[in-house]
Amino acid sequence: MKENTKDHAALAAQFNQDEPRVDWHDKTLWWIREKRDKAAHNVPEWELLRDTASGIKENVLSRLHEYLLQFEEQATRNGIKVHWAADAKEHNEIVHALLLQHKVDKMVKSKSMLTEECHLNEYLKEQGIEVVDTDLGERVVQLAGEPPSHIVLPCIHKKKEEIGEIFHQHLGTPAGNADPQFLTHAARLHLREKFLTRRVALTGVNFAVAETGEFVVCTNEGNADMGAHLADVHIACMGIEKLIPQRHHLGVFLRLLTRSATGQPITTYSSHFKRPRPGQEMHIVLVDNGRSVHLGRKDFRSSLKCIRCAACFNTCPVYRRSGGHSYHTAVAGPIGSILAPNLDMKKYADLPFASTLCGSCSNVCPVKIDIHEQLYKWRQVIVQAGNAPIAKKAAMQTMTWVLSNPGVYHTAGKAGRWFMANVPFTVNNSLNPWYKQRDMPEPPANSFGEWYKKNKK
Amino acid sequence: MSSKDKIVTAVKNNQPEFRELPPLPGSGTPASAGQPAGHSPASPEQLASSPEQLANKFISILEAIGGVAYIVSGFDRIASIVHEQHPDARRIVSGCPELAALAETATRYEDPHSLENIDLAVLRAHFGVAENGACWITEDLMIERALPFITQHLALVIRKKDIVAHMHEAYERIAGLESTGTSYGFATFIAGPSKTADIEQSLVLGAHGPRSMTVFLLDEEMSDAGFY
Repeated sequence: MKENTKDHAALAAQFNQDEPRVDWHDKTLWWIREKRDKAAHNVPEWELLRDTASGIKENVLSRLHEYLLQFEEQATRNGIKVHWAADAKEHNEIVHALLLQHKVDKMVKSKSMLTEECHLNEYLKEQGIEVVDTDLGERVVQLAGEPPSHIVLPCIHKKKEEIGEIFHQHLGTPAGNADPQFLTHAARLHLREKFLTRRVALTGVNFAVAETGEFVVCTNEGNADMGAHLADVHIACMGIEKLIPQRHHLGVFLRLLTRSATGQPITTYSSHFKRPRPGQEMHIVLVDNGRSVHLGRKDFRSSLKCIRCAACFNTCPVYRRSGGHSYHTAVAGPIGSILAPNLDMKKYADLPFASTLCGSCSNVCPVKIDIHEQLYKWRQVIVQAGNAPIAKKAAMQTMTWVLSNPGVYHTAGKAGRWFMANVPFTVNNSLNPWYKQRDMPEPPANSFGEWYKKNKK
Repeated sequence: MSSKDKIVTAVKNNQPEFRELPPLPGSGTPASAGQPAGHSPASPEQLASSPEQLANKFISILEAIGGVAYIVSGFDRIASIVHEQHPDARRIVSGCPELAALAETATRYEDPHSLENIDLAVLRAHFGVAENGACWITEDLMIERALPFITQHLALVIRKKDIVAHMHEAYERIAGLESTGTSYGFATFIAGPSKTADIEQSLVLGAHGPRSMTVFLLDEEMSDAGFY
């Protein structure tokens, strides 16, 4: 994939060129948000669950180094080999070394946002390894040569006709057939062959339990299990923040995760992997990649509580209307916008500005991350570090000058009203970003200051 | 310095000050041993859950997520339903010796790939969860770990009285099972058939795993007449 140089606003403008598609994208995600609401309202103790989940994760962050060591000890005792990766590069090298060791050049992979973050697929491709993504949505975007646009619904931006065309090209389905049932069946047959012939399977991890050394993988399709149970080698990759203290804490998180994500009461499969099956090898790669640094940022560390349900995506008015690719990072949406600047503040300086700060994300978050407040705080940090977008910086400097000079302020107001009333084309044009997708309002005859002076008497 | 040392040291230096674990909702169990029992409020729903109500809730949720449930008096009845539902099944595998007349009941397969052409698997599971329609099954009941996933259709058998209200109770039950039996190497909650909605949010049953999922609720007190 090419290195992207456009910022969120420019990428969103691209997405916005097709207005009916934006409306469709917006409505689809809102429908999922509504399903989430229904599921949440069916659980009377929902708010208590959110508080508890948040509290458990706060405890995890406060004792993370102990939980990591405890997990390693227990998992090792269970016969799992534990690896530690300081960054994306080391993670990719560990996976590659395991493949080399088993003389394997093909593997199946179930959904793992961590491997997206580490760009594992691209890395392995360069080493001559073929990776087949087995989640249907991920397979679609993989065949299309795109990254996922949503962490739970990877091809939510694609119309079924486009998917039909991709399958026609790559899987040989009849041209013009866009029936979801038919296409899913075609993918089932295509991927079954992969499951049956691949000797190595990589999966993500939803939760890892420090107390028992087991890890849990949740899917609806069953692709993680199909891969792992048929392979000689199972590699599970996880960020270090995925730990939870004890097994019974899963009760809290499994109640929240899928209800928040899609409105289902639970995923079809919530699989608990504790020991390799006889004759199988099981590996876990614990990945830091900036998380330990993030843990030290007082204002931002609570974003590490995230359980990747994507409720904040589905509710976000900006995400719904700009699409996941406009965020140019593996985890898009509001949560991605507060995680990404930790990895590279300059490259992702635009993301905390891709929000209306309406707070809906924080309201639906199952672990109560104060997402919109962190978006606001990142803006301060980014501007102070001199990483604000140039146009925004210039506008802010002008604003400072205008607002600190009463004479200039009054003259500017008057001039603005005169221009809007007499020569509206000077503001109603594409040079004015406020004019995009909006009409400028009718200007008032006078300012509030002038009105007040006149009416005070 | 190894990556492990680097990570653990950085985490230790940067982690916030200690925060207590909160008590768990929906059970009297404190979140960590040694604390007094938590006084978390039980929902009205939890207080008023008779076994009958739990079974009804389990069935309605299971049906809502694409599964099918039958309350049955015994394995004879299961056998006849299986016969009706899957008249063309060529290969049926079961972990229930009671079904030996219609299914393979081997206890081990050398190679999980040999399960590729199985039409139906009928397996025992430990219990069901009313709030989400899931059943808990450990690997000792699966014959092979791959079996509940690779089979074209799946049926699980639980006792009707083995249905818990919610996931907190489920994990209490799991802890109980572990303390009396052997611990699992692999186990899973299964809720309905394998499914996907990745293509324009259209729900399709039978993504990679079973296309259908049936739960038989054994009610030993039930006579053979007048059910389902």
